[in-house]
Amino acid sequence: MIDQLLLAFPMAIVVIGAFVLMLLSHSKKFTLERLNLVGVLFLTISFVMQYQTLGAHSKDFLFEDVFGRSFILDDFATLFDLMFTAGAILTLLINNDYFKSRRYFSGEYFALLLFSVFGMMMLSHAHELVTAFIALEIASISVYALVGYHKQNKVSSEAMMKYMVLGSMTGAFFMLGTALIYGAVGSTSLTEISAYVAQGELHNMTLLIVGATFIMVTILFKIGAVPFHSWVVDVYHGAPYPVTMFMASTFKIAIFAIALRLYIVNFAPINNFWTEILQVITILTLLGGSWLAISQNIIKRMLAGSSIVHSGYLLIAISSIGLGSELAAPAVMFYLLAYFLSAAGSFGILSFIASQTKGQMSYEDFKGFAERRPYMALFMSIFMLSLAGFPSTIGFLGKFYIFTSAIESGQILLAGLGILTAFISVYYYFKLIAMMYFYPSQTSQEKFPVNVSTLLIAMMAMLIIWGGIGTSLIPFVPGADGFIDSAKQAISSLQ
Amino acid sequence: MMEHILTYIIFFPLFMAVVLGVFRAPLKFLKIGAMFSSITTLLLVLWLTYNFEPHGAMQFIQNLPWIQNSGITYFVGVDYLSLVILVLISLLMPPLYIYMVHENRKGYWYNMMLLQTGVTGAVLSLDLVLFYLFWETMLLPIFIMIGKYGNGKYQFNSMKIVLMTILGSMSMLFSILYLGYIYFETSGIWSFALNDLAGLALDAKTSIWLTAGFLLAFAIKIPLVGFHTWMAPAYGSAPTPTVVIMSAIMAKLGIYGVWRFGYGLFEATLSYYAPTIIVLALLGLLYYAVRAVTEDNLRKMFAYSSGSHLSLIALGVFLTNIYAWSGSLYFIATHALASAGMFIMIGLSYKRFKTVRISELGGIASVAPKFAFFFAFFALSIAGLPGTGGFVAELLIIIGAFKTNFWIGVFTATTMLSAMIYIFWMLQRTLFGTSTKLCECSDLNAREILMLLPLVLLLLVTGIAPSLFTPFFETQLNASLQDVLTAIGGLQ
Repeated sequence: MIDQLLLAFPMAIVVIGAFVLMLLSHSKKFTLERLNLVGVLFLTISFVMQYQTLGAHSKDFLFEDVFGRSFILDDFATLFDLMFTAGAILTLLINNDYFKSRRYFSGEYFALLLFSVFGMMMLSHAHELVTAFIALEIASISVYALVGYHKQNKVSSEAMMKYMVLGSMTGAFFMLGTALIYGAVGSTSLTEISAYVAQGELHNMTLLIVGATFIMVTILFKIGAVPFHSWVVDVYHGAPYPVTMFMASTFKIAIFAIALRLYIVNFAPINNFWTEILQVITILTLLGGSWLAISQNIIKRMLAGSSIVHSGYLLIAISSIGLGSELAAPAVMFYLLAYFLSAAGSFGILSFIASQTKGQMSYEDFKGFAERRPYMALFMSIFMLSLAGFPSTIGFLGKFYIFTSAIESGQILLAGLGILTAFISVYYYFKLIAMMYFYPSQTSQEKFPVNVSTLLIAMMAMLIIWGGIGTSLIPFVPGADGFIDSAKQAISSLQ
Repeated sequence: MMEHILTYIIFFPLFMAVVLGVFRAPLKFLKIGAMFSSITTLLLVLWLTYNFEPHGAMQFIQNLPWIQNSGITYFVGVDYLSLVILVLISLLMPPLYIYMVHENRKGYWYNMMLLQTGVTGAVLSLDLVLFYLFWETMLLPIFIMIGKYGNGKYQFNSMKIVLMTILGSMSMLFSILYLGYIYFETSGIWSFALNDLAGLALDAKTSIWLTAGFLLAFAIKIPLVGFHTWMAPAYGSAPTPTVVIMSAIMAKLGIYGVWRFGYGLFEATLSYYAPTIIVLALLGLLYYAVRAVTEDNLRKMFAYSSGSHLSLIALGVFLTNIYAWSGSLYFIATHALASAGMFIMIGLSYKRFKTVRISELGGIASVAPKFAFFFAFFALSIAGLPGTGGFVAELLIIIGAFKTNFWIGVFTATTMLSAMIYIFWMLQRTLFGTSTKLCECSDLNAREILMLLPLVLLLLVTGIAPSLFTPFFETQLNASLQDVLTAIGGLQ
């Protein structure tokens, strides 16, 4: 009993933290800064506890006598939890200045963020479809509220409505899919579904396949795959910077947690069925995302568009999984790690700058940035290079694995298209670097502010470089190999 | 020392740049530090050349695991081919730093140090992913240098060169990944080392596609005609030190890539592409020469002239006989020296006369005789004046061309003629005659002569006594040529 409680602790502490923050936010003594620290504290405890158990799990079910087999504990979920908590901690710490600079933030913000993290953690542990649905909704509803957090701002409210209406509707697809699967299998537990899939024949499983396709629709919507992408750019644009950062770097990854679990393990024998659909969607996503990203002038919207392209790369690897590539699943994990670092970093810098200026940041606004703030420009360039997949950054290795997995599974053309879109992405990422470096500054150089936000941004930039070139030759410091090993370990814990 | 020396040579400039950057060195120390890094590297390279075994194959090899999960290694080594370019890079850096001595923009110095590491790394790496890494990263300093310190439509031109070059390198990346995967499929382990991948047996169709991936990257870098649209704008916009590196080193890396990776990986398949490339190269010879004749901007003119000569080198590489090959290798060295000298002279003339347009220059010889002498010397050595290294090299390639086919030989021979035309006409208009612009300018000073003299001397030595250098590459070049010929023979 006690050890079960201990296992549940990292998840529980986050939700406890959320309630504590809700209560504290009514106290006058707790300023935003203090609430922020309280949130970080709870998340850090969860992070540290999860970190210690990484690699030690042996596929336990949490409170099996009470919940049945609804919650699973394995390295896969733990690695995702680490990313969620780290993402939330980074979001809170980097945006400290932003919270202070905007009057509309209040204590509930932090509670909502922690609820959302809790939902994601539940999602990565879910081993039962209804649990997964509830988890997904906990996370999504918190994020809907966060997106519309700036109530007076029309753009923000519009983004919230758009996201909520569309998101809830696609959420219903998940439910419908679950119901259909229940009709076929007689259970919503993933264990039962696996058993059913493993022993059945493809042509006898129409109901299950239709159900699983509906679930896939929800997943594709949440990751912003074309043709379910229409919300991405507007929502990313309308949300306050800290929320955009959280959505792009953390929430998006959470969706892949459940997607990978379902399609690597449970639906593995019938994955072939979706290959063509996925390939078409991948092609659309890569091209459509590139088009969206190229045509934007505001950096936030450009990054939103490019996040669709990154979903496209991930989809390449996911359809490779269906074709039996062994490299593909670790490739997805590694790419998520790489994307997490680069996206969190780039949005982090954006919101850090936004905390000191008003107005939207377009390419033009970055003219002369390198002269004004040489270090910030350097870090931004590193994040852009990593997103573009330039060698010597972790983003390159991410693409390296995705494309080799595509080649391994025989999707040569898809790999070629991926490389082509990577080439296109060089244009819109390098454009920002060009803006920062190629134009003289109107104002003189500003001092590099040394505080938690900037130090964290610097740390992430270094991690990105180290993840790209770090060797395992230096003892005790895991290099690029260390990242790949943990990705592989997480995937192998699924089987 | 012996086993790490290549690593020191590659990373010392980068290391210096990082140290200077971290301590935010004042300008004076930055200049001294950059100069120190270039001279140290030069000394290391000279020491390496002294210890180089002329009859041996790959030497000073260092092979360390890097990203073990994918078999990517840190694998560097030097042989006759990379030694030539390595020596050139390290020889050119000190004169360039002397040229830059009054340059007060710090970014200039940092970028040059990074650039040196990038190009040196690309020349020495023997692992394909490592090569790709350096191949791409050397673009970054170029991107910043043109975009920040260039002239004309520099922002646009900088973006253009980067995008076009990356298009090539992306196609190369695809080929690299595919090769790595085939190796994994056949042997069960990952490796991207050149000597592992060279042993792969590819079926003809795959091989043709993969070769195309590499060739696109190299064709854009050289640039062969048709892939050249970035060249003239970029050369025209780039600051002088960057132009020197671009024309003297980076363009040669395209040739180097064909030689090392093209012949190293796809010996037989290259002969499938040889006719196409030879035609492109011949077209390039003529096209670039015509453009050079009509060009008014000196920088662009020598960009075209550079393109014309690089087409000649590419031609030599694809004509597989010993004359063409040794001519090409020799031309890599001598053309690098001559074009480096020429672009430095153009930079100097811009500093003095504030223009690089031929129509606005004139009568230099009467005001600045020393300047005129060096200017004429480098221009003539580009044209292949007998007595300079370029003459020997061009002659060898032309002989090689005649050996292959009479008409190819005739076409190739026109390059010497056309070069004479545009060089002499340019000299006549710039050095002699009268300028409408009154030109009150000083002649070359001691510092400038000091930086130009090594180039002049080397050009003369290579021209008068080629036999000093041939022992360094003769045996190995013959051996690799025999390998290629056997492979092609096996195909037919």
